[in-house]
Amino acid sequence: MIFEERQIEKNNFSSRAILLFGIVVLSLIAVLVQVFSLQISGYNDYQLAALKNKNYAVPVQALRGEIFDRDGEALIKNEPTFDLITRPNLISNIDSFLDEIQPVIFLSESDRNQYKKLEQEKAFVNKELVLKKDLSEEEIARFNVRSFNFQNAFIAKRYRRISEYPNIFSHVLGYTSRSDDEFKSMPEIPRSHWRDAELVYAHGLIKGRTGLEEIYEDHLSGSPGKRVYEINARGKLVQSLSFIEPSQGADLYTNLDIEAQKSAAKFLGNRRGAVVAIDLDSGGINVLYSSPTYSINQLSNGMNEDDFQTLINDSDKPFFNRALQGRYPPASTIKPAIGMYGILNNIVNWDFEMKDPGFFELPETGRVFRGWRKGGHGKVNMHKAFLVSSNTYFFSLAYQADIEELSNHLFSLGFGQKVCKDCYDEDQALVPTPEWKYSVMNAGWVKGDTVNLGIGQGYLLATPMQLANYAYLLAKKGISSEPSIVTFENTKKSLKIWQDDKFDDSDWNKMHQALLGVIESDFGTARSIRDLKQFQVAGKSGTAELVSLDSKEAYQEVRTSELLRDHSIIIAFGPMPNPRYAVSVVIENGESGGAVAGPVAIEVLKSLINE
Amino acid sequence: MSKQLQKIYFDPYLFSSLFLLSTLGLFFLFSASNADLDIVLKQFFYIFVGFIIMTLVSQPDPDIFRRTSGLFLIFSLLLLGITYLFGPEINGAQRWVRVGSFSFQSSELLKLAVPIFLANFLFNKKLPIQRKEIFISLLIILSCFFVVFRQPDLGTAIIIACSGLFVLFLSGLSWGFMGGSFVLLILSSPFIWNILLQPFQRQRIATFFNQDMDPFGASWNIIQSKVAIGSGGFFGKGFREGSQTQLNFLPETETDFIFSVIGEEFGFIGVLLLLSIYLFILLRCFYLALNARDRFCRLVIGGLTLTFAANLIINLCMVVGLLPVVGMPLPFISKGGSSLISLFFGFGIIISMSTHKKFLPQ
Repeated sequence: MIFEERQIEKNNFSSRAILLFGIVVLSLIAVLVQVFSLQISGYNDYQLAALKNKNYAVPVQALRGEIFDRDGEALIKNEPTFDLITRPNLISNIDSFLDEIQPVIFLSESDRNQYKKLEQEKAFVNKELVLKKDLSEEEIARFNVRSFNFQNAFIAKRYRRISEYPNIFSHVLGYTSRSDDEFKSMPEIPRSHWRDAELVYAHGLIKGRTGLEEIYEDHLSGSPGKRVYEINARGKLVQSLSFIEPSQGADLYTNLDIEAQKSAAKFLGNRRGAVVAIDLDSGGINVLYSSPTYSINQLSNGMNEDDFQTLINDSDKPFFNRALQGRYPPASTIKPAIGMYGILNNIVNWDFEMKDPGFFELPETGRVFRGWRKGGHGKVNMHKAFLVSSNTYFFSLAYQADIEELSNHLFSLGFGQKVCKDCYDEDQALVPTPEWKYSVMNAGWVKGDTVNLGIGQGYLLATPMQLANYAYLLAKKGISSEPSIVTFENTKKSLKIWQDDKFDDSDWNKMHQALLGVIESDFGTARSIRDLKQFQVAGKSGTAELVSLDSKEAYQEVRTSELLRDHSIIIAFGPMPNPRYAVSVVIENGESGGAVAGPVAIEVLKSLINE
Repeated sequence: MSKQLQKIYFDPYLFSSLFLLSTLGLFFLFSASNADLDIVLKQFFYIFVGFIIMTLVSQPDPDIFRRTSGLFLIFSLLLLGITYLFGPEINGAQRWVRVGSFSFQSSELLKLAVPIFLANFLFNKKLPIQRKEIFISLLIILSCFFVVFRQPDLGTAIIIACSGLFVLFLSGLSWGFMGGSFVLLILSSPFIWNILLQPFQRQRIATFFNQDMDPFGASWNIIQSKVAIGSGGFFGKGFREGSQTQLNFLPETETDFIFSVIGEEFGFIGVLLLLSIYLFILLRCFYLALNARDRFCRLVIGGLTLTFAANLIINLCMVVGLLPVVGMPLPFISKGGSSLISLFFGFGIIISMSTHKKFLPQ
């Protein structure tokens, strides 16, 4: 090549090289700009993303609050037990691990299988898994001596929800059970992390299902804490980064009275029925008992399938809370309410007398409504009508009633509605109206229906809770508050005042006198329980007919089938003249109200008064 | 004369900057490999050998490379053939040839052989280059590209193609021809997409354009890489403190994504320092290319430097999310003996060509 050509070539090369080198420098600048935008402008976002990658936050379970009776004695508490916990992420071979631990801690075949199954299913982080619950002291000692052999297992304190009175308080306290799917997400903790929650209860994440445990779930449950773990890309746990303590749930103080509840259980025995007692001063519910019962300790802490099926299939329906959900005809216990209605509407007054021939004949149809005593009670006024429980008197009173007004009157006394402030799944039972009958039975209201209402039979249905509330209202002469199981120290309960100028103080006194006479006088239908106690009690008993019959002979035939026998009912309050407690008792198929339900009511009142 | 013989051909600028770069690389690799000393020691060994090779290669007169360029290309292609016939298949690709206990990625040699061969082929041709010469050059480039592409190793194939094209461009390829080829390339892109690219390569390109498409699958690498770099911030999280790296959220930390490790643990400052060293090396090589003793040396130094630059830039753009993911190591830092040895070999050639002066003007 000649010199000029070489010079041209060199210049050509230089300009092209400079061009390419310029592109190289520009590319490096582009990379630098991109790195700048990632590291400086986007720093916050990417830093968060990196934290989200490595931080795994799990909730830490809080202890639930405990529940106390009115004297501060625990009804449900958290009882520590000791469980053997393993760290599956440190166990390389499950089978040989189980073989090693077998001589120290006895494991049944099903324990082993259950553990292996859980190990397979268990969560992402898989940091802790219970191998055996509730170790004996011997097992704990054996393990502690050899614990250096088992770096992948440890004994930890785990709590159980235990009641000293698991059976008698089962319906009112309720039970807890595992709930794995119903947890809300928390800041930084998505819902799915709940399955890795750090547990304090042996039964995992528990939740109130019935009774106070359910009603006061938010109050009792407290709020979970948080532990943040560092994990690697495979989800393996590296270390614990931070820990926020959970806050324990608040305790619950109730008006329940252990002794009175025990009396209710003892004197109801194995009969089906319910007892409700209310403190007249506070409106607090002292007794709420339904029989038969079941054990909440068993139900909350794991019950085997067979026992559970036995309970479910029991014809006495132990899960059924008769105190709140049982619908019973109030029978003669409704008579005070009917009497009040008569006076309010000027149908009768306390002096009005009529002849009781033992039956009432409906003028329109000639249908006969019989009293409980053949031949009747002779001349009766309202006082005597209460004492001897004259059906005829109240048939004839109800006959003159307007059904709409009568229904409203019963409603105003708490029938046909929920009356308790904090009862789980309370039933509102039924106050019948013509609209109700038409819509349900597709039939018109007839006078006979109203007449039946006069003695608490027919369509009228009430729960033991409503009957107790009604007794409370009668005892307090119309000034009551909403009954509640839990005490509300900070929030004063507002009084519900039942008031009507036409039913004044003297009427209330006469009413109390009459109801006192039911038990304390020689003519009272419940006089058989008069001598069971030292104090005076007012009340009204009732015998709820399940089948409508014309004669005693017919009933003798019916009562051979136990489930068709009359229900025995009583409402009572005392001690008179300044009553402090009201009580209602229903005993299914117990027959005579005064003689059967009466003693139970008296015993409960005795426990409450003589404390 | 004896004085001449004793002279050691040596470039202090390149030697010290490469020394700095590869030493820093050992530290980065230590962190990136989760403190795996075996890996670091092996890398150290390759660097040591690399410096020896570089020094040895820079001693002979560059004429030897010109004279042996044909042989070198044939040897490289032969090695690829052996790889194709006997090489073990690793992760679905045949890239390695085993010699005793050492494995060598045979395609690495082509990165050197192709530009040197083309420089020899073109350095004495008249300007502008004739069609016939362009045609022959392109044929060589394309066939080398395809041999490696078939392994499959798209990253190296691209670098080989670049190395040849750079020489072709620097030797005076006409602008009109380049414009025409560019149009042809655009027109044939559907063909390239559908026929030539493997499904996983198509997926990488698709995820590049839509990174939210499959965050736990195909897009995982690039998302985690950006998170690692971004979360490093200005000063970085500190040596061995990068959670993305140490907890394995970041993939391929020792090889393709080692720049993300540096970004995470040393921050913007670290990136700036690293890029400065690279820029210094490039500037030095560029200066040497402009001042080389003849056209052949100019073309080889220019070609090798630009190949090195392309390798660097493609890796950087890939890990910061400016280009689709393609297997490409960060030169002198990423784990891998073959890459290191061929890089040092290449720099040896550059030093040889820039330090030997010509006594007889042609």
